[in-house]
Parts: sequence; structure tokens; C-alpha cells
Amino acid sequence: MLRYTARRLLLMSITVIGMVTVVFFLLRAIPGDPASYMLGDYATEESVAALKAELGLDRPVWEQYLGFVKRALTGDLGTSVVTGQPAFDEVLESIPWSAALSVSGIVIAVLAGVPLGVMSAVRHGTFADLFIMFGALVGISFPVFWVGLVCILLLAHEVRLFPALGASSSTDFFTQVHHLMLPALVLGFSVAAYIARLTRSAMLEVLGQDFVRVARAMGVPERRIVYRLALRNALIPVLAVIGVTFAWSLGSAILVEAVFSRPGLGSMILKAVFARDYQLVQAGVFVLASAVVLVNTSLDIVYGWVDPRVSVS
Amino acid sequence: MSAELAPETTAEAVPRGRAVRRALGRYLRHPGLSLGLFVLVLLSFVAIAAPWLAPHGPTEADLMNTLAHPSGDYVLGTDQYGRDILSRLIWGARISLEVALAVVALSLTFGSLIGAIAGYAGGWLERTMMMGNDILLAFPGFLLALALVAARGSSLENVILAVSIAYTPRVAAVMRSVVITIRPRPFIEASRAIGMSSSRVLLRHVLPNALPPVIVVTTVSAATAILAEAGLSFLGLGVQPPTATWGNIISDGQGFITSNPLISLSAGLCIAITVIALNLLGDGLRDTLDPQMRRYTGERML
Repeated sequence: MLRYTARRLLLMSITVIGMVTVVFFLLRAIPGDPASYMLGDYATEESVAALKAELGLDRPVWEQYLGFVKRALTGDLGTSVVTGQPAFDEVLESIPWSAALSVSGIVIAVLAGVPLGVMSAVRHGTFADLFIMFGALVGISFPVFWVGLVCILLLAHEVRLFPALGASSSTDFFTQVHHLMLPALVLGFSVAAYIARLTRSAMLEVLGQDFVRVARAMGVPERRIVYRLALRNALIPVLAVIGVTFAWSLGSAILVEAVFSRPGLGSMILKAVFARDYQLVQAGVFVLASAVVLVNTSLDIVYGWVDPRVSVS
Repeated sequence: MSAELAPETTAEAVPRGRAVRRALGRYLRHPGLSLGLFVLVLLSFVAIAAPWLAPHGPTEADLMNTLAHPSGDYVLGTDQYGRDILSRLIWGARISLEVALAVVALSLTFGSLIGAIAGYAGGWLERTMMMGNDILLAFPGFLLALALVAARGSSLENVILAVSIAYTPRVAAVMRSVVITIRPRPFIEASRAIGMSSSRVLLRHVLPNALPPVIVVTTVSAATAILAEAGLSFLGLGVQPPTATWGNIISDGQGFITSNPLISLSAGLCIAITVIALNLLGDGLRDTLDPQMRRYTGERML
């Protein structure tokens, strides 16, 4: 078990270094000269040269790369061209906003998706199954930003249940939660659809296995079979799925934040893209991706604790 | 009689034409699959025939009739520049299907090659390749596509390229997991024993046998590609206005969502119908091609 945890952590550090590499080459993917691109059309020669020197663009690529990795691993992700602040600090500022949205979205998704998926699998082939699966299909097929717009139209303008803006400047906790509710519901709805589909197929697989048939033959009550035998075994793959959906939900969160004009990592990255503040984009992308790896590694380790078979193989 | 009972065992005895028809029948009897296929054929027709079907040009502005409500001349109304929404939706189908097709072609080609080589080679080559693949997989796909488009600039080609790069690792991961189940089978061993070269075994035997699950994954990736393009266009990073894309139309209508909700709503419905059709097709193919592969196709595509 300890070895398994150590292996996971080692794998995680390799992945993070790999991600730094990808992020490094993102800046170099800018056609032509990144420095003059970042400063726009009206930049002076001197300012371009200064930025070039700051980014190390005048040195050989491998030297730039090594320097970038070394600095990134110590938390120095460059400075924002627009505000002059360290990029990492800017990122840290928007993390609580993103974390609140993602966590509440995932919680809503798990609370709705897992029971619906179980219900659908237990009533396999019935009208309820068809209905839930159709709902899930709709959930994964509608663009999340469009669902957001429709919710704003219906629940913020027609019925004034929620504010149309995803955040407020008030420091009052309940006002903030009230503003968070609609974006979290929209994000949760689309993630719930994925979770319901995957829970259903995991559940169906377990319900078709021999030990379930034996339990049925022995006269174990159906409720007990579903909740004690099948669900516990199906929960393991579902746990893994939640890790995967987390990465996906962070991608959707960018769109949700944009629709609800909510601050957060996604909005920060978008703003930086339009301001050509590329070091801030790099920092944001790196931190978002690191969050995914961190969550998935911890889930993997939990997974190993819950199911000893995993850590052995 | 025996042919009716066990079509698989006597398939070779049946004339080829009939066997093909029987296989087709099996696919078409699946309600989801045939519905999805029907909708996609219809959409392709609309996309191809856009110049003849659309009542107005996609960027033709009628400044006397801006933000018009539905009427005989403008069936779905007009946007803030007086452009006909219906015509823009019809032309938008082109972009969406173009993106879907191109992304599928690119990610299927490169993803299945990378995955097959890694899975078939094994050893350190597999470990290094999959390490790289896992690193790319750790990025949320949409985020990676967004960052690439932001760096390379917004154009149709760059959107296609970025979305393909973001989704190729997913195809590669599925391909590899299928190939490692094929590699130990006797017919592969036999091909090697008679002296076939590795590349020949890979191309002639491993790839064709591993394709069905990968085809399912690419159907789903076509759906994600359409959603990703729409998302990028909505954010203003995708195909640039005034080109008509569904994402652009939603973004145009966003400011008028209370007065002219039809602009954004209709474009969203177009995206959803296309994506639902692709997902129905993917689910249907999964059921009919190989029911056992549920496990590694569903989870990997996110």
C-alpha cells in the first residue's frame, strides 16, 4: 500500500514536469515573435527587447526551457504584462472562486447522477430507464453555455428566482451563495448527465455478474442485492469516473464563468488571452491542469485503499 | 435453416451480398443508431446544399430589418445586423460538420497510429509514449484547445488543429488498451511466426481488429469537437465573425436574449440535435459492434 502510494506520487511529479513542458511550448507556439505579439501593434522596439530579455527569448531554447521548469517548480510563473503582478499571485486570487463553483457543481452532479444512474440500471429496460437515459443524453448534448443562457432567461428574467450574475461584490455569505447557485446548477446538470450514464453501465455490469445471480438464487432480497452487493462494487468505477469528470468540468467551468460573468480561473485565462497577457495564460493553464492531476492522484490513492486489488496489480 | 439459427457460423457459406445486407439490417434495427444516422444524413444534406437551401446570404445585412421577429421573409427573424437567422443556421451547419469531419479524420489517424504502435511495441517505447499521452490527457480537453487557439490565432484551420491535438490522446489511449488485448492472441503470434514484419502485422492484422471500439470513440469525439468549436466561437476565440457558425450565432444573440430569444435558442437547438444524433450513433455502434467494450470507451472520452 505504501509502495503503491509512493508510486502514484512519483507518477504525479513526472506528470507535473511534463505539463510544465507543454505549457512552455504553448508560448512558443505563437507564430513569429511572442514578445511583439504580447505587447501588441503599438509597442516600442525597446519594450519588445526588454520583454524578450525578461522571457529569455534571446537565449537558446534548451536554456529557456530549463530555466522555465526550474522557476515554475518554485512557484514563479512569470509576471503579468498587464498588471505587473506575479502571475502566480493573480492565479491564486481567482482559485477560491473556481473552487467554489467546481466543488458545488461536482457535489450536485454526484448527488443527482449516482442515484439516477442506479435507478436506471435497476429498472433496466423500463420506461423510467428510457426517461432517465434520454435526460442524460440531452444533458451531455446541449452546450453548457447555452443551458446557462436559457437558465438566465427562465430563472433570472422570467421567474426572478436567481440573480443573472454569477457573483456579487457583497461579502455577505448568503448573497454569494445565492449568486453561486445558478452557475453551480448549470455545471452540475451537465456533469450529472455523464455520471448517470457511467454509473448505469457500471451498475449493469455488476448486476450481470455471477455472484449477484447466486445471491438472487439464494433468495437474498432485491433491495439488499442492489444496495449491499451491486452498488458497493459499482461505486469503485464510479469513483474513478468522478476523477475523470473533474477534469472535464473544469473545461466547462470556463464557459459557465463566461456566461454568468463570474470571476475565476477560467475568466482570468480568457481575459489574459484577449489582453495577450500570455504569461498569465500559461500560469492559469498550468494551475488548472495541476489541480486535475492532484485530484486524480488523491482519488487513485483513495481508490487503492478502498479496493486492495488495485494496488496489487 | 441453420443459417437462420446461427448466422455467424455459416457466414462464409452465404453469398457476400446477403451477408452484408444482414449486417446492415442488424445496425438499422437499432432504433437509436438509425435515428442518429438519419439525422446526420439530413444535416449533411443541408450543409452541402446550403447555397441553394438558404433563402438569404449568411452575411447579407438588411439594415432596415434589424432584430426582426419571425415573418414570412425571415422565418426565424434577423439579428442585430439584419442578417437572416435561418440562413445563418443553414450555413453554420457547414462549419460544424466540417470541424467534426476534420477532427475525426485527424484524431483517428494519429490517435490510432500512436496507440497501436505503443500497444504493439510494448516495453520502454510503450511506457514513454503513454507517459506523454497521459500528460496531455491531464489537461482538460477544452482548456488545451483554448490555449492552443489563443497562441496560434483564431481561424477555422487553427480551431480544427487545436481540437484535434486536444482529443488525439483520448483516441490513442483507447487504441492502446484495445491493442494490448489483441497482441497476445494466437493469430498475431502466427503471423509473426511465418515471418511477417512488425509494421505489416500492425497494419494488416492489429489495426483492423482494433478499429470497432476506436470508431465508437471517434463518433463521440466528433460530438465533443462540435461542442468545443461552438464553445470557442461563443467565447470569440473560434471561427471569427461575420462567418456564420452556431457558436457565433449564440454569442450574437446573447445580448438580446430577453427581447429576441429565438436567435440564441435556435442555434443552441441545432448544436444539441447534431450532438444528440452523434451520441445516439455512438451508443448504437457500441451496442451493435461489440457490447463488451463499454468499459473503455465511455470513460476515456471526457
